[in-house]
Amino acid sequence: MKVELYNYMMNRRTMLKGAAGVAAMAAVGGPAMNVSTAFAQDDIRAAILKIPGVGKGQPTDADWQKVGEMTLGATKSSIQPGEFKGVELSFMGLNNQNVHNVLFRGLSKAWADYTGATINWIDLAQADYNARLQQAIATGTVDFDVIEMGAPFEGDVCGKGLASEMPDWVKKQIDMDDYVGYLKAPVGTWAGKTYRVSCDGDCHNFNYRSDVFADAGLADEWKKAGGEGDWKAPRTWQEVNAATKFLKGKQLGGQDLYGYLDPAKGWGGFGFYFLGSRATAYVKHPDSKAFLFEPDTMKPMVNNPGWVRAIQDVLDCLPSEPADQLNADPGTTGFQQFLAGTGSMLSWWGDIGSNVNTNDSSVIQGKTAFDILPGSPDVYNHAAGKWDTLASGPNFAPNMAYIGWGIYVMARVDADPKKQKAAWSLAAHLGGKDISLWMAAYPSGFQPYRQSHFNIPEWVGAGYDEAFITNYLASQANSYNHPNAAIEPRIPGIFQYYSEAEDILSNIYAGKMKAQEGADAIAAAWEKRTDQLGRDNQIKLYKASLGM
Amino acid sequence: MTSVSTAASGQEAVAPHVTPERRQRGILLIRGATLLLGLVSLVQLLSVLGYIPFGFTNWQPVLIAYVLWSAALCWGLVLRDGEAGWRAIFVLPAVLFTVALVIFPTFFGLYIAFSDWNLQSAGGRQFNGLDNFYQLVADPYFWNALGNMVFYVATVLVQYAIAFGLAMLLNADIKAQKFFRVAFLLPFMLSPVAVSWMIGKSMLEYRFGPVTHLLRTLGWSQPTLLTSPWLAKSTIALMDAWVWIPFMMIMILAGLQALPKDVQEAAKVDGATGWQGFWQITFPLMLPVSVTTVVLRIIFQLKLADIVINTTAGGPGGATDTISSYIFRVYKDRSNVGYGTMIAEVYLIIIIFFVALLLKFTSRFMQRAV
Repeated sequence: MKVELYNYMMNRRTMLKGAAGVAAMAAVGGPAMNVSTAFAQDDIRAAILKIPGVGKGQPTDADWQKVGEMTLGATKSSIQPGEFKGVELSFMGLNNQNVHNVLFRGLSKAWADYTGATINWIDLAQADYNARLQQAIATGTVDFDVIEMGAPFEGDVCGKGLASEMPDWVKKQIDMDDYVGYLKAPVGTWAGKTYRVSCDGDCHNFNYRSDVFADAGLADEWKKAGGEGDWKAPRTWQEVNAATKFLKGKQLGGQDLYGYLDPAKGWGGFGFYFLGSRATAYVKHPDSKAFLFEPDTMKPMVNNPGWVRAIQDVLDCLPSEPADQLNADPGTTGFQQFLAGTGSMLSWWGDIGSNVNTNDSSVIQGKTAFDILPGSPDVYNHAAGKWDTLASGPNFAPNMAYIGWGIYVMARVDADPKKQKAAWSLAAHLGGKDISLWMAAYPSGFQPYRQSHFNIPEWVGAGYDEAFITNYLASQANSYNHPNAAIEPRIPGIFQYYSEAEDILSNIYAGKMKAQEGADAIAAAWEKRTDQLGRDNQIKLYKASLGM
Repeated sequence: MTSVSTAASGQEAVAPHVTPERRQRGILLIRGATLLLGLVSLVQLLSVLGYIPFGFTNWQPVLIAYVLWSAALCWGLVLRDGEAGWRAIFVLPAVLFTVALVIFPTFFGLYIAFSDWNLQSAGGRQFNGLDNFYQLVADPYFWNALGNMVFYVATVLVQYAIAFGLAMLLNADIKAQKFFRVAFLLPFMLSPVAVSWMIGKSMLEYRFGPVTHLLRTLGWSQPTLLTSPWLAKSTIALMDAWVWIPFMMIMILAGLQALPKDVQEAAKVDGATGWQGFWQITFPLMLPVSVTTVVLRIIFQLKLADIVINTTAGGPGGATDTISSYIFRVYKDRSNVGYGTMIAEVYLIIIIFFVALLLKFTSRFMQRAV
């Protein structure tokens, strides 16, 4: 998130006043009067939200450095100036433009200046990340001390004893209790030990065109066509499918309309999350945490009737979707289609919502609303082998796709207490409570992930439109905190499973295989993969990741 | 003649102008370095196999020992054999370099190909005999990609015909000849990755791409160039041709410029038409160049991957997949090193056989043509 949020922020005068004050305080910062102690915590949070401020474009390196300096208070309370002089840390992360490592450089400069440590950055393209990490692990050449890593890789790193256990002082400094529910243990932990400083929370939410579903003309046509219920934003996948088929051939404001957008092209394994978002309401039963594999055997559940229904939904909807959908990966679907006005419904991470008002190619400002992923009137009970209709109503199961980025310290620093403390101090700084608010509010590659990020009055007080913020943040908060959230297994090789599935899904979507036949092929490929990775070990780690 | 001469009795060669002491130093140097390399390799091997409790943390010391051994071998040969040694080290570094970076990796690749090695496997690398090969034989994605390769290789002939035509044009006396030669060569100078983004992802983009816009203007309401199997395959082949036709064109142009002009002129005097001049004189004379060009181009084509990976990721439904893009997925997305290496090694053998057969066939064809 995100530029559009601060586009709602306070007026220019207020911003300049705040920024001038911040700059003045920063100028006199130092041992005698550091910036962080000049503000009460609430003041710091309000002040950093004004950097760079409304109408100033995307934050620059100078802004990142300023924020890094203003949020150094927690470090200063536990670390002496120059305490890590002579310590060199290698930090591996992504090199995406203006986010991730690029951002971390600026945010950690004040930390490095204060502590005396040197940080060597290892930048990776997102597509190279998995391969680089796995090669380092497999060849015993882990050459980094701190890593920005997604929770799905915890099985590869924490499960193999390669990560350093988080000291108690770090837990206190970063206020882990503030994390949203699903990011608390077992996420970030293995065998009862905590390893992760979260800096992101991930979930797919439901993005839809409010103008389409509020259009009176379409409502009339929906009625005439015998559509079930009122014309409104769908709340179940059945309604999504019906709306998608209905909208084919319709126009609004002279533009062709389409319904839901299914990314049918693979994305290095990430494309599987999008089938997952369609499937979780069908397959994530409230009585069980498992929805991809049976915990006791690692037998895939991906060919059960719930998953097959989700695949069939895609097959049924594809003819009503844009003609190039078979060659549309999630990136294309989100940024070249939905933001550009093609399609009325989409599951994606929080980035879509944050780009609606800021991306130059977006034409849907003021026409977008958000919710948690749609549900289903029935859910497949894998254990019982039958569909259940819940007394509580439709089954909702938000897909916590990827579980967010975190900062992990590698075990190789443990032999040197000074280096270990330095590494954890850096991780704690970048995952700190106040700095995280700024990262949630500005382009960073990270979404809100702390309970304190959902304090609506704080955003409103900073100048945001209440209705917009409430709707957008609620779609994420309600996903994170949902009691039936689908949390993927943090087991080694999870992206191998996804990649195998993508190949087969491509065949299914191209009409070369039926839904059940394809799902069976995915299950067979996953069984082979589990055998290759070591079934007993996978079961053990899978259970550990589920907290069983 | 100062080269090493071997005595008929089987005694060691004696190089003139090399003192026995110097020769002895050379022998000692070579033997010492060889011993060091052997020792370091043995220790590391035994350590890795678990026979001894000590060893190096990785194979880097072995590499350093190999480099030292290579230097000592070159130096030792000079000391031992004098001028003959000097002559040997004109070639020896290249040989040692090739051994280290081509021959050893190829054979080491075979060793990996016969193992079950997934980087994320709990058990690490395990020898699994021919399992990877059997998996490959039954792998529909491999055979699908191989089938696609037949199509892509076949398009080389079309590319050759176009390249020949362009080369003939550029060989003619036309205005701005130099400009056109450079202009036609430009696509070849572009990275295929850039081409796949500029053309595949931008110009052919369904909504805003200028090419699709033009196609709509021409009456094609849904110009989806990359979503139906044959169209997607043909579009990939077109982009690939756009990059590589200039390479073939420049090779053929060089050949055309080397042709003796008097033969053509004599044919004209004898009343040959333009077509007869081309088909009965130019084309046969150009056969050696053409064969070299086509064979080289086929070898490049067999490695087609970048455009496919970037534009379609092998889809829709594997319609555009190539062996290389499939290997890319097996390695990169699935960390399946053992199986990926098996595919690569088998594909290497297929390429070697195919190219050998191709050369044999063209050699016979050319003999008949001559």
